[in-house]
Amino acid sequence: MQILENSKIKEKLYIEKLENGLTIMVMPKKTRKKYIVWSANFGSIDNKFYSQGEENLTTVPDGIAHYLEHKLFEQENGKNSLDVLTSLGVDANAYTTNDHTAYLFECTDNFDEALEEFMDYVQHPYFTDENVEKERGIIEQEIMMYDDYPEWAVYMNAMKAMYKNNEINIDVAGTKETIAQINKDKLYKIYNSFYYPSNMIIVLAGDFNPKEILEKIKEKVILKNTEDVKRVYNEEPEEIVEKYVEKEMNISMPIIIIGYKDNNLKENKIKKDIALEILSTILFSKSTEFFKKLYEEGKLLTNPATNYEFSKTFAHFLIQVQTNYVEEVIKEIDNQIEKVKENGISEEDFLRAQKAVYGNYIKDYNDVSNIASIIVADYFKNINSFDYFEEFKSVNKNYVEKILKELFVEKRKVVSVIKPVAE
Amino acid sequence: MSKTSIEIKQGIKLHCIKTDKYKTDITCIIITTPLKRETVTKNALIPFMLRRGSKKIPSQYLISKELENIYGASFNCGIDKMGDNVVLKFYIESISTEYALNNENILKESIEDLLDIVFNPLTDDKGNLNKDFLDVEKQNLKNTIESKIDEKDSYSFDRCISEMYGEKGYGLYKYGYVEDIQKITIEELSDYYNYLIQNSKIDIFVSGNIDENRIAGLLNANENIKKLKPRIENYILNNEYTESKQPVEKVKEIKESMNVTQGKLVLGLDIISNMENLQATSMVYNAILGDGANSMMFQNVREKASLAYSAKSTLVKQKLNIFIRCGIQIENYEKALNLIKVQLENIKKGEFSDEDIFNAKTYLISGLKNVNEEQDTEIVYYIGQEIAKTNMTLEEYISKIENVKREDIINLANNINLNTIYFLKD
Repeated sequence: MQILENSKIKEKLYIEKLENGLTIMVMPKKTRKKYIVWSANFGSIDNKFYSQGEENLTTVPDGIAHYLEHKLFEQENGKNSLDVLTSLGVDANAYTTNDHTAYLFECTDNFDEALEEFMDYVQHPYFTDENVEKERGIIEQEIMMYDDYPEWAVYMNAMKAMYKNNEINIDVAGTKETIAQINKDKLYKIYNSFYYPSNMIIVLAGDFNPKEILEKIKEKVILKNTEDVKRVYNEEPEEIVEKYVEKEMNISMPIIIIGYKDNNLKENKIKKDIALEILSTILFSKSTEFFKKLYEEGKLLTNPATNYEFSKTFAHFLIQVQTNYVEEVIKEIDNQIEKVKENGISEEDFLRAQKAVYGNYIKDYNDVSNIASIIVADYFKNINSFDYFEEFKSVNKNYVEKILKELFVEKRKVVSVIKPVAE
Repeated sequence: MSKTSIEIKQGIKLHCIKTDKYKTDITCIIITTPLKRETVTKNALIPFMLRRGSKKIPSQYLISKELENIYGASFNCGIDKMGDNVVLKFYIESISTEYALNNENILKESIEDLLDIVFNPLTDDKGNLNKDFLDVEKQNLKNTIESKIDEKDSYSFDRCISEMYGEKGYGLYKYGYVEDIQKITIEELSDYYNYLIQNSKIDIFVSGNIDENRIAGLLNANENIKKLKPRIENYILNNEYTESKQPVEKVKEIKESMNVTQGKLVLGLDIISNMENLQATSMVYNAILGDGANSMMFQNVREKASLAYSAKSTLVKQKLNIFIRCGIQIENYEKALNLIKVQLENIKKGEFSDEDIFNAKTYLISGLKNVNEEQDTEIVYYIGQEIAKTNMTLEEYISKIENVKREDIINLANNINLNTIYFLKD
């Protein structure tokens, strides 16, 4: 068992790779809570692949990873594992992202009983025509619920404006039309192709003795390893698709995302992520002249929210604001980026932003569910979460200025706007 | 974890939650005052004004710099309804000193900054709040009120409540009303602010790996606290003993149209009972009906009928109401409504198993056991206890739930009446 220790957050991470290829990580925490997540490296972007030992390319309908997440709870004895886990007083759930699917539960009591059920259901798919059919209406309502979320619409439109072919422009849940094509055979096919040990990770955080819990889990792992599935992703051109997209919805005030497509996927991702966190603070936080002016003029109520999203196949930086002054605020954001590019960053601003970002990384390690989901998401990006603390000092002002100049390029910028329905 | 409460002055309490489970310290100031149609909009405007600057840190811009310098401490304020009261919340979360790179005493700075923002606002020579902030903050409040339509789920929930209670007490919208905003003058708002901080119940919560005596010392020595006078708490006590209702003569049915793809159905129910152990029984009833994956709403409306993704019910303890909520295809309105009514009838007839009762209790108890494991949940729990004056320990709470019997649930079910059906559609 490998032990990673970090003196800044005062935490230890125990890591073991089982013979069958499954990775298990444990972070003991001082709490009565116990949290476990089992995740497969399979998400909405994985829609074309060569299954183990097959020469024909398999293409699956959009939304199938998410459909599988819903259906895995179904068991051969007629029970639904979500109900069984809930009866034990544990809080069970699952989620699907663009690159992974995760099954989890957290509790203060009954961990061992719940673990039994949990390890069992993730390793035993049971799909029938009836149980697959029954889920369609539920997922259709989930899709419709998202259709009414302006924040989801503005994000998906930004992705579609940015990416011509990259699978990130696919809605995680699919559409009513694509999920209509999903059946039990397709679900078994993806389960068998992607749910194998070396394509998965189990992360535990909370009140655990690492050695004991590892032994317990080892006993219950029955999945056999296979060779790797071969994923096929579309070639993505460097260019964006459309500079500007707009949609009307029933909302009170326009919502905007300004996105920058990042084609440089080779850079050290942790360093770049830290640099962009620091940069976001310097450019758009409440302590900037930029925000002070727009706030006092009544044009922005809250400062822009930013996010650097990246995986193995894409990367982009997003700036989100809500304002009635669409053109003006977009222009002010552009000006602010240009101004800092030209004048550089002051030492004082840099040090202050650095402290603020550091504090936020510390806060990330408060809650067991947050810790586990960070570790899982980082793992599938080939990142060790503790490295954020190791790399922190190496992100200096010059590097941040370099990232600023490289990333914010006009021709890779898209704007997505959701406007209120015209009266 | 240990919790201590001391009265700093009459009507002003300090609650210290000492715990070493987290990497952060949270300080939270709560001001509680009755919800009234005349003051609801002014209440909402106050946090908007206060966060703009204090005498010590005279602008939002400088406050933000200060917060970034103490490792990105997050300051926020908000408004919540708690029964017939409104609570103004101001809080600051900062990393504990042991994680600071140079051992800075972040907690002391955080507490002092927060007290300054809330009790020492920037004023002019007449003692009025800064007039320069007013126009923008009025606009911000107006935008916030209008943004209630953005989230269809919470919008339809709020609409059902306002149909049931009208424009008074719990029926008021927490951010107030656009038509009030224009008339508010800086003098009027300043007078109201002064009245509020000198007459309301104030609770200060501090959670983290803290020394209670040092925190109490810090507060007692603080100039802003010294300015506050003792007061008689003036707010409305809502709990299972104070609420009484009459059944409605006719169930109200409201349909509202908007440009939406999914319909939102909300049913508002009244709990009309003075049975013993009412609150715990209501919680168990609600869990059987619609709280959690084993509930009737989840199992029958979602899993069996595939009518919804989200199907649940929410208990509002302070007001003894239950709200059933689900997102459905618009054409399925009748089907969903009938199916929900069947669930309500089935509980009345006792058509639920002992396993259902067991599951509901397990679900509620595990939620309570979680309270001391999440820093913000813990604070919210104790705020609720303080305002309802219940001061129940978690163990007492759990035993009340364990004591609920099948006949209590059936008895209660027969005293729960439908009040309003609200539907948001296209």
